[in-house]
Order: sequence, then C-alpha cells, then structure tokens
Amino acid sequence: MRFFLILGLALLLASCSQKEPIYNQQSYVFGTLVDITIYGEAEEKSQAVSNEIIHIFQKLHNRLHAWQPSEITELNKAFAQGKHITIQPDVATILADATKLSGQSKGTFNPAIGGLINAWGFQKDEFKPTKVDENNIKNLVAANPQMTDIVIENDQVFSTNPSVQLDLGGYAKGYALDIALAYLRKQGIKNALVNIGGNIIALGQHGDKPWRVGIQHPRQPSAIATLDLPSGWAIGTSGDYQRFFELDGKRYCHIIDPTTGYPVQNIQSVTVLIPAQNNAGTLSDVASKPIFIAKPNSRTDAAKIMGIENFLIIESENQIQISTAMAKRITWLDTNAAKQAVIMQP
Amino acid sequence: MNAIKLPFKPLIGDWLVIIASLIVVLFLFKTLWVREPASQLKIRLADKVIGTYDLNQTRELHIHGPKGEAIISIENGKARFKYSPCTNQYCVHQGWLSRAGQVAICLPNQISLQLLGAKSPYDSLSY
Repeated sequence: MRFFLILGLALLLASCSQKEPIYNQQSYVFGTLVDITIYGEAEEKSQAVSNEIIHIFQKLHNRLHAWQPSEITELNKAFAQGKHITIQPDVATILADATKLSGQSKGTFNPAIGGLINAWGFQKDEFKPTKVDENNIKNLVAANPQMTDIVIENDQVFSTNPSVQLDLGGYAKGYALDIALAYLRKQGIKNALVNIGGNIIALGQHGDKPWRVGIQHPRQPSAIATLDLPSGWAIGTSGDYQRFFELDGKRYCHIIDPTTGYPVQNIQSVTVLIPAQNNAGTLSDVASKPIFIAKPNSRTDAAKIMGIENFLIIESENQIQISTAMAKRITWLDTNAAKQAVIMQP
Repeated sequence: MNAIKLPFKPLIGDWLVIIASLIVVLFLFKTLWVREPASQLKIRLADKVIGTYDLNQTRELHIHGPKGEAIISIENGKARFKYSPCTNQYCVHQGWLSRAGQVAICLPNQISLQLLGAKSPYDSLSY
C-alpha cells in the first residue's frame, strides 16, 4: 500500500513541476485580437518571430483596409469612376483567388458588396444600430456588384461595374493565417498556434499532444466543444454574436446575404475545419460564409460546393447539425449541445 | 496503515476491490471533469499583460484603455467586465466568467480577460 501512495505522490509531483517552454503574445490587428502561441523555442526567438508576424499583419491590414485609406480604398475609388489603376502583384493574386472562391460559392461569398456592408453601418470600428433606407438596399442589390466585374490586365485593374466596392473582411484574416504559417516555417519554428479573431491555424503540436482548440458557444461566454487541430489544419467560425446590433428587438449581424442585401437571420454560428493545404487559413475564413448565408435546407449543399467535409452549424440551442467527419473529431463540453446535435450523413 | 483501525481484518481481495474502485474513481474524474474551475484571472491591455490576479477575492480593478476606463470585478472565483466605455458593450454582456479557458475581450478598448486554471481544456478559441 505504501508503494501505491508513494507512486501516486511521485506522479502528482511530476505533473506540476517543470515549466512548459511556451510563449504567448497578443495584439490587436484587423480590428480584432491576434493571439500567437509558440511551443518549444527559446523565448527570445519566439518573441522576435511573434513580433515580426504582428508587424506583417499590421502592414497587410493597413494595405487591405476597407474604409481607412488603403490600396483597397484606392481601388474602390477607381472602380466607382470606371478608371484603370495599378495594383501590387500580391493584391492581384488575392483578387483572382477571391474571385475564384466567390464563383465556387455561387456568389454567396462576395467581397464586392462593400457598398451594402457600409449601408448597414458595419464599416466602422464601433458601429451603432442603423436604420437602413430600404430603397438604398434594393438599389445596391440591383446594381449586382460581382468579383467577375473586375478585370485584371498585368498590373492594371478596372471594374466593368461601378458598384463594385471591395471589402475583404471575410478573406483577409484567413489569408494572413496562411502568410503567418509560411513565415513560421521559414523561420524554422516547429510548433505554433496562430489565432486571428477566432480563425486559427496550427503548426506542429503542443508538446506531445496536438494543439487543442475550443469552439465558442454562440450564446454563452464559454466553449461549446473542443477538438484537436493537426499540423497545417485551420478552423474558423462565423457567428451572429461578434459584430451585430439590435434594433426593435431584432438582431442584425455583420454577415449580409448579397442576394437580399439584408443581414442573415436565424443562424447563430457556422464552424468549418480545413485539412492542411496551401490556403487552409484562407478557406477557414471564406468557407463558413456560404454555409452561414445559405437557406436552412441547403446549408449542407453549400458545404459540399465549398469542398468542406468538417462543419458544425448552430441555428439555435436545439438546432445543431454536425457533419459525420466533424462528429468524429469533436468533444462536447456542453451537455445540451451534445444531446441536440444531429449528425448529417454525407 | 497501522493508524487506521478497521472493525474487521481486510483480506487481499478487499484491498484489490478498494484499489480497483480508487482507479475507477480517478479515471472517471479525469475523463468527466472537463470543466476546470478557474483559479486566476489574467488581464491584458493591448499587447501587455497587466497582471494575473487570484480569483478568490473580492476586488475591483480600474484599467485605462484607449477608449477610457474599464472596471473589472473579481468576486469569489469569477470575474467580469463591470463597466466599459465602449459602444456595443459586448464585453459587459458576456457576464461572469468562472471556468478555466473562458475569455472576454473588449476589442475597442483592447482589454482582454482570460481565466486560468490548473488545466485549461483548450489552447485557443475559435469564436
């Protein structure tokens, strides 16, 4: 018996001795919280690499900002006036990629609707409940701004439709994750976790275990579930609870259906999990939107056309759908959600 | 083990049962007890950690962010934004945090609260 007691004590002590070689840094970029965790490196190196990533993000944010003077606002001005304008090669690549993804989503992911986002008052750091002019919304939808209206010729770009107003709010954070992952690898970092406003990408793991991420409960200040994020994988959540306002008892969230011009109603959150690939970060940001915007009975179709196998859709407390693949990976923390979740057959 | 006086003399089988039950209890505790109570509150302002505070106290902290002064309450194992100068008040509406891993963020005022425990159930949060 004494042997067991000593063994037990030894195990307890072993588990709480040694400090973990983990470094964490937070900053505010892209109008949200950026959180970088690096495991298993000297603190000086982790700090230097994290600082550089924040710096890269800040530069990208300044260049792609949708409403403060940036390369994007310059493009939008030129588009409205039907003028040609010179663009940087990486912006041309972003536009081409966003156009491709917009086409794939059948236009539900549409970064050309900056006009609508502005009309709803969301192009501000701190927005107020906004009563929109219905006719204005109708006109903005009828003008039909599409990514395919943008024509790129070498380093020149113009729009055939003056209503195209770029807002990369549903793209830039994910794109930045891919840039961060490439930079971490280039610097020889083996294990890191980068979180930009809830979009997360993993590199390596946390010691001898995979990185573990929580998925926010859309109506409580806690996680609804957790899952392991393998190296190179990314996860992203679109919710109606991050940027929204309430007017006359109704919730208006920042995700706008381009076909109606109105904020999407009756859905709380969509989480997508993206396997390791070149643009895993970008997809973690983009791919949740078409599912969020789709009509309730066609959300799984939206996931399919975006090539998403792992998704979690929370419409309300008792309407939760999870894909078969995701159900295998998830650990519920919320017992009610665990009971309510319906596993969708592929 | 001499200090414990039992009304009967346990046999080897009894010990095995006791040990087996203890193992089962420990196993269940480890697997089912996913919601660690938090013991500390970490407060950050922008990229700086303001401090890490024991949750077992009643205390109010005044933090000056870019938007103005926010008031953070700590009360017997939980913490919350009691007042914030921001427009949308999401941080205040988050309410009390009490479990390890929970976070409340005020983006405009760049203040974040994070509850720490012996073991957080996750490394980062997708929100």
